Amino acid sequence: MLLSLLGTAGIAAGLAGAILLVYQSAGAARSDATPVALRPATRLLLSGAVVAMFALELALLTNDFSISYVANHHASTTPFPFNVASAWGALEGSIVLWGLVLAGFTWMVLTHYEKTPDRLGAGALAVMGVIAIFFFGLMITVANPFEVCIEAAQQSCAVSSSWPLSPIDAPAEGAGPNPLLQNHILMAVHPPMLYVGYVGLSVPFSYAISALALRVPGPLWLRRSHRSTLVAWSFLTIGIVLGGWWAYEVLSWGGYWAWDPVENASLMPWLVATAFLHSAIVQQRRNMLQAWNFVLVISAFSLTILGTFLTRSGTINSVHSFTQSAIGPALLGFLALIVIGSFILFSARSHLVSSAPRIESFVSREGSFLVNNLLLTLYAFVVLIGTVYPLLVEAFTGTQVGVGAPFYNRLAVPLTFGLLLIMGFGPITPWGSADPALIWRRTRLPSVLALAAGVAVALSVTRVGWVVLAVVLATFVIASIVGLLVEQVARRSTKTGENRAAAVRKIVGGDTAFWAGQLSHIGVVLVAVGIAFASNLAMHDTVTLSPGDTTEFAGYELIYESPFQYQEPQRLVQGARMTVLRDGAFVASMEPTANFYGGSEASGIVTPAVLSRPDGDLYLTLRDLDSTGVTLTLDTSPLIWLLWFGGITAAAGGFWALWARQRDRADRDEMEVVSV
Amino acid sequence: MSERAKNYVIAVVLVALAAFLAVLVGTSETTEDRVERIGSSIKCPVCQGEAIADSPATMATDMMALIEERVDQGATDEEIIDELLSSFSGAVLLDPPAEGLTLALWLAPLGALILGVVVVAWWRAHPGDEDEDAAPAKKADPRSRKLVGGLIIVGGFAGIVVLAAVLLQEPASPAGGAAALSEIDLAGTSNETMEAVIAANADNPQINGMRLALAERYYEAGDYRAAFPHYLAVAESAGSSDAEATTALIRLGWMAFDGNGEVDAALTLFDQALQISPGSDAALYLKSRVLWCGAGDYDAAAASLEAILEDDAIDPTTAATVGADLEAVLAGEPCQ
Repeated sequence: MLLSLLGTAGIAAGLAGAILLVYQSAGAARSDATPVALRPATRLLLSGAVVAMFALELALLTNDFSISYVANHHASTTPFPFNVASAWGALEGSIVLWGLVLAGFTWMVLTHYEKTPDRLGAGALAVMGVIAIFFFGLMITVANPFEVCIEAAQQSCAVSSSWPLSPIDAPAEGAGPNPLLQNHILMAVHPPMLYVGYVGLSVPFSYAISALALRVPGPLWLRRSHRSTLVAWSFLTIGIVLGGWWAYEVLSWGGYWAWDPVENASLMPWLVATAFLHSAIVQQRRNMLQAWNFVLVISAFSLTILGTFLTRSGTINSVHSFTQSAIGPALLGFLALIVIGSFILFSARSHLVSSAPRIESFVSREGSFLVNNLLLTLYAFVVLIGTVYPLLVEAFTGTQVGVGAPFYNRLAVPLTFGLLLIMGFGPITPWGSADPALIWRRTRLPSVLALAAGVAVALSVTRVGWVVLAVVLATFVIASIVGLLVEQVARRSTKTGENRAAAVRKIVGGDTAFWAGQLSHIGVVLVAVGIAFASNLAMHDTVTLSPGDTTEFAGYELIYESPFQYQEPQRLVQGARMTVLRDGAFVASMEPTANFYGGSEASGIVTPAVLSRPDGDLYLTLRDLDSTGVTLTLDTSPLIWLLWFGGITAAAGGFWALWARQRDRADRDEMEVVSV
Repeated sequence: MSERAKNYVIAVVLVALAAFLAVLVGTSETTEDRVERIGSSIKCPVCQGEAIADSPATMATDMMALIEERVDQGATDEEIIDELLSSFSGAVLLDPPAEGLTLALWLAPLGALILGVVVVAWWRAHPGDEDEDAAPAKKADPRSRKLVGGLIIVGGFAGIVVLAAVLLQEPASPAGGAAALSEIDLAGTSNETMEAVIAANADNPQINGMRLALAERYYEAGDYRAAFPHYLAVAESAGSSDAEATTALIRLGWMAFDGNGEVDAALTLFDQALQISPGSDAALYLKSRVLWCGAGDYDAAAASLEAILEDDAIDPTTAATVGADLEAVLAGEPCQ
């Protein structure tokens, strides 16, 4: 009861802070009068969110089953860190996390505003406040995580009340989290990463809306929000990669991406945010694509709300949609408000943003950015229509339309290869109008290397077309980037007489944003190669073995030693102990298991055993286990580590750019005080 | 070497490498790849959104085995997919065809691509005023153009929605691409295909419906020998519904009598059927025939026929047949 009271008070304080912030900052945005102190309102919002999160965590850690969220999603046997992660393992708690992250980003916008107090910043804070009102409003109404249990059921709460002082009837023990969510450590980190990514996109959105409303569509809003966009993009990248990794390590089908609507929900904003990161550069450098940037940023934020709706409303049946709740209509309404409101504002201001200088030539950096944007938005559109169309058809007609991997692969694979190709050309192409001879000079060696790598792979590894093409394009991109660096370093060291290492430092340090971007490109390229290998060259088999039996698979020798079983506080673990040999030498001992959490699922949650080696993973999944023998599925995932490594590299590029930006911020702030 | 000569050498090397690579890659798909590709285009009926190629479910692995068998037999992709979709309710094509309901799925990205290219081309041809601050009054024109553009987009969407609504009004036919596949339509499936599907799914209880349908075909054609194992499997399967088991037992009983003259076995099977479905008209009637014509037990035959007539819901034609038989039995006439 105490914690429920505390949490509810936190949410109420957050809501009050948000309302106050909107009121004050809207006033500050309206006039150029002396800057208003917005810190108290923002502080109220942030501390409310912190208190709510703190109360929720404390309730989980102290097994306070009088709070129905705790009773329904936690058990006293839930081990660390899953008890902490339960705070965002289900709908209501995840909204609290969302609110906390949003409050954090609002604080970030505030610090910027305090350095350069102008109408644009105040307007952005007002928009952030409106978003916060919605989410804190959700917490206090349809998604209240602090409802108290007034009628206990067996290990859960049957009836709850949002009034914290109601008479309490708490169950003695809770239901525990969804078994799939307490099966792997990644589940504790993947959602927060994703949420930082999602919510971070609200910052550029807020600046964009503020810029439109205040009629200052120049590049200032881009500069102001660039840091948040980078933070959001980097975390979204990590979140998506970790999500795939989690699926791979937990869902036991050997895959990492199923074009599941929930996965798509995270990919769509990523694609649009990636397009936005690129087109923002074009506007800053060439003053082009002004209107387009508004469209992108509005779309990116709308897609995050759509993603939340898809994930959290139970609209689609998927492992992610644990809950069904009245929150669906609320999110859908908010989505409609965002989309319709933003585009009405945009069209009302379009006369201000419609001006765009003519593009000199498509053979130029801006030309390649244009192609990149076209491909990325088309990609996002394909994912969007593939995700939403079956839902619409089923909702309106009841007919099941299957849209699965074949549909996406047919469109996404060519789009991806197109993106890889433009990734090789874009960075080596100068702005303005590029001399074709220069492009040829910079790409001829990479082209030879790329094709040679392709031939090498085709001769020694595989002739599967997609894999060879991925290797060719990946080599091309990396060789182009390295070639450009080598060219610039050579030029500089001949000119200044510096040694190579110093020249590299100077060149990379002189344009860190560019080279950080190239690091991200290399990461994306590695992901593409990893996907190509893992999805085209995987091997698969199913075997049934008795204790002592040996089977051969993919160059490994697998020996079934014995079954085993042990009890942990929250689960019963059954498994098969396997010994893995290669060329007669011991490699590893592997234990694929089935975990029984005492819930409704009779067959247990199957957890694969994964052996990671440089040439790829060996992946064993338990299918059936009894006294006479074990049935296992055996999979290989060649080079799949490239996928994880590439994803982290891509995100690292984002963080590197952020770090460099932070370093250079002093100069930039001085520049900015001038305008608005 | 001059720059020009160097360029030529590089160009020649590039072309040679590309050609060599094309030859290397141009090798055909392996059987395994093909099975995998077909399997990844069909949704596993008992899973959530997984393709059968990805799912560990027994049904999915059975279906994969069937695909492999059919590929080995030389069936085309379309044949295999059609067979699977018609044999397994709940199996949905994950690769939506460019027709009917799912046409829009393919047209929309194409439309978006064309729109994107057109917009870029238009932008290149009609750049806005480069001077942002010049005479805002003159900017009414691009604004109204934007509004018109927006209206066209909204109108286009509305058109698609209306079109979709109209298309959806038509009853979904099994041939209509993504039409509902909840009803198994076996009309177009050959006996051989059904045998193959059944053989591949022998352990799957969900195959019983198909097994029974195939057995009925053999039965009606008078091929008791072919029908027998399938009826037996359905009767013995724990996964059969009561109706399926009853039908199988009745057929087994009648075939035992009609084919082999085994009166006792037939009567036992009918009684088993009646245990599962008490009052089954078909079981009672055929039992009466066996009692009358085989065992010569007129009293028991009459009792069976009377049990049918006790059912009020019986239709007049059946009632007339049963009544005529009952009269003949009671009169002690030999069976015809």
